Amino acid sequence: MVGMSVLRSAAAFAARLSPLKSGNNAANLLSRTIPRTDKVAVRWGHGKKLFVIKPSDYYDRRFLRLLQYYVLLTGVPVAVFVTCVNVFVGEAELVETPEDYEPEHWEYYKHPITRWIARNIYDSPVKDYEKMMAAIQIEKEKADTRLTQLEVRRHMRQKGDGPWFQRPTLDKGLIDYSPKSTPDN
Amino acid sequence: MPADYDKGAYPEPPRQTPAVDKQTALPNPALILSKLFYYSVDLPVTTFRDAVDSIRANNKSVYYHQKFRRVPDLTDCEQGDYICYYEAEMQWRRDYKVDQEIVKVIQERMRACQQREGASYHQNCGKEIQQFNEVTKNFQSRYGDLGGYASGRKCLMKQKERMMAAAQAPSA
Repeated sequence: MVGMSVLRSAAAFAARLSPLKSGNNAANLLSRTIPRTDKVAVRWGHGKKLFVIKPSDYYDRRFLRLLQYYVLLTGVPVAVFVTCVNVFVGEAELVETPEDYEPEHWEYYKHPITRWIARNIYDSPVKDYEKMMAAIQIEKEKADTRLTQLEVRRHMRQKGDGPWFQRPTLDKGLIDYSPKSTPDN
Repeated sequence: MPADYDKGAYPEPPRQTPAVDKQTALPNPALILSKLFYYSVDLPVTTFRDAVDSIRANNKSVYYHQKFRRVPDLTDCEQGDYICYYEAEMQWRRDYKVDQEIVKVIQERMRACQQREGASYHQNCGKEIQQFNEVTKNFQSRYGDLGGYASGRKCLMKQKERMMAAAQAPSA
């Protein structure tokens, strides 16, 4: 009877243990020892591998990769071109203007690329100056014309003998003077 | 500095290299370091510069300094002659730039003098300091406080105010 209750309690205990854990097979159920964790050999080699959970940085890295690619796509050729110009063509040197020589407008700049731009793309500064002065001249003439127009208008309104400020009326040759043409009518 | 600088404005300081007076048999570390610097930095840089110059030797170009003709000033223009106003304004702007560069050159001379003299610049740089003070005072009285939209007309008005103040000051 006592052995029956011991057997029943042992069966209940064995049923509670999970069969999947490694120390729980029938061979060493009764003879296994408790593992002592303070006497295990611990080696700090490369450390324990951890699976760190963080948000995805794929999109950020893709953006930076694409930015780098597209910037360098034109940046590197431009840098190579400018380096070649500086090495093979070189900057100009400052000299005194020789007598009776009128330098072209691009010969006043130092760097070869600036000289090229001034020669082929931009207008000469003399031409820009003249263009500005032509624009000023046109505006001045417009302003003077407007002022004279106002003056003429004032005169014509006052004196009334100009083509402006005239009111169309009937022809004075159509007036019939016959009722008053003789004194006895 | 470029090779053609004004030797009178930037005098070279006297050489202070002491006479060699070796009292030990040990090698001089300063000499070793200077030779190291020469062979590791100076010589490669100089050879690179010479190589690049030899590549550039066949297509040298030159540039010139542009000189502008003087045109009538704002005070010599007729009333309403906007072309004359424009030319006077452009000339005033060129003169403004030239004056700014003059102030920078005088400032550079004073800085060079201070660098040369070291701790005794109060005493030895009197001429440069006095020149700098005079030039900056004149620049301030002519162009100072005109602001970012400075023009020849505003400068002329400032001059008029200055002349009026000068005329009233001795009489008051």
